[in-house]
Amino acid sequence: MKPDVGKLLEIVSGKLLFEIAPTVQPSYRQSSVQITAMLLGMVREEWERSAARRVEENALLRGLFARAATRVSDTDLCRRLETAAAGADPDLRISALDASNGTLRALLIDLHAHVETQDAPWARALEDEIWRELVASTERRRFALSPF
Amino acid sequence: MQELADRIAAYAAHRLPGATDVAVSHVDRIHGGASRETYRFRLRWREGGREVERRLILRRDPPGSLIETDRAAEFAAYRAFHDTAVPVPEALWLESDSRWLDHPFFVMEELVGFEASPQAILAPPYAQHHERLAREKWSILGAIAAADPEKLGLCGALPVVDPADAWRRELDHWTHVIDEDELEPQPIIRAAIRRLRRAPPPPPRRLHVVHGDYRTGNFLYDAEGSIRGILDWEMAHLGDPLEDLAWSINRIWCWARDGRVGGLTAKENAIRIWEQASGLRADPEALHWWELFSSVKGLAIWISGGHEYQEGSNKDPVLAFSSIWLSNAQDRAALETMGRLS
Repeated sequence: MKPDVGKLLEIVSGKLLFEIAPTVQPSYRQSSVQITAMLLGMVREEWERSAARRVEENALLRGLFARAATRVSDTDLCRRLETAAAGADPDLRISALDASNGTLRALLIDLHAHVETQDAPWARALEDEIWRELVASTERRRFALSPF
Repeated sequence: MQELADRIAAYAAHRLPGATDVAVSHVDRIHGGASRETYRFRLRWREGGREVERRLILRRDPPGSLIETDRAAEFAAYRAFHDTAVPVPEALWLESDSRWLDHPFFVMEELVGFEASPQAILAPPYAQHHERLAREKWSILGAIAAADPEKLGLCGALPVVDPADAWRRELDHWTHVIDEDELEPQPIIRAAIRRLRRAPPPPPRRLHVVHGDYRTGNFLYDAEGSIRGILDWEMAHLGDPLEDLAWSINRIWCWARDGRVGGLTAKENAIRIWEQASGLRADPEALHWWELFSSVKGLAIWISGGHEYQEGSNKDPVLAFSSIWLSNAQDRAALETMGRLS
């Protein structure tokens, strides 16, 4: 699609914010137009990285699950980890990547909760790895407008 | 807006039986608390041979909102603190009958001529008064904490809880909101919830009034650095006063992006002011618990707003914006509180 989606959203957002919003009354509607303009700015940021961050994160989570499966003794959890680790993302549409990401992140919650209850060095090491991934996951989703 | 003006006038006439020529004008919807539709308007009437005009605020329940709250609790909190050391507008009428304006609502005084924006406070002429604003902000919060809910008549209006269970009630409530409304798994906040349940905070010695959303953006201030009104009591409840203190210093309200809490002052200074004003001690471990809880509550609110928007029950763009803009920041705030963000 040309003009580029990112450029298009940048221009539309700027027009709404600086040209259209100042002419809109009453104040509530003006404020809604300003907020919509800022929303489009965030959509622009997310558009560019959307597929990349999901593909990257899904692959990292599958790798983490593969390593965890060799340690976890809970049979059911171990089986779920092995199944998830063997998965892939053949469909690169955002909706498909999102569905995979949701499934993998739900399993990450279960794994994290399980590891917290295990009193062993491997569990602490795996827990640290999970925390590192969680910190990285917030960086992947961070917006330029973020309060901090 | 004329139809709404006429309907508000009809209701005002019903509430002012001695009044004649009741008229409503200048109805204007404003952003003011995301849980209810907020309108300012002017009410004029004749009574006892004289003409009266008041500038008022209407807070009406919407079909969907950022947070589901009890309008009666909000109204009761405004009533309780009116004419006290905690500046609030006068609450006038509470109406649960939907025949007047399609949804329940309440009416209160408009405090005119002041600023509320968390962005405006960072720039002149307000920026030179940050230390004074901080002193007033956390002194007033200390006054709320020092207040006796029994004497204020709030123990009937707000649900009473055993002080030992105050933390559990709040954590259960906001966890339930996340359970119901999350649009995707939340591994960081789920870890935070597990951590909070493993090590509950010590209970407060008694129940206190908790504003529930005490932050820069929810009070009115003037150009001389005075706070003129505390607003948005929609999440007011009885509980642990550290909940309010922790919420007020949450990382996502660092609007100046320089670490100053509420965009105004150092965290330690805010806590010191609050301790002096409340006569209470902010136990560091207990406060830390409530700081992490604040991120759970915050994320629950952003998730809930995003859910309303996605479901289509409320298409106000502020719901989508808050959800997208603040969810990630709230996750990062939780990580920081848990010592995981370097």
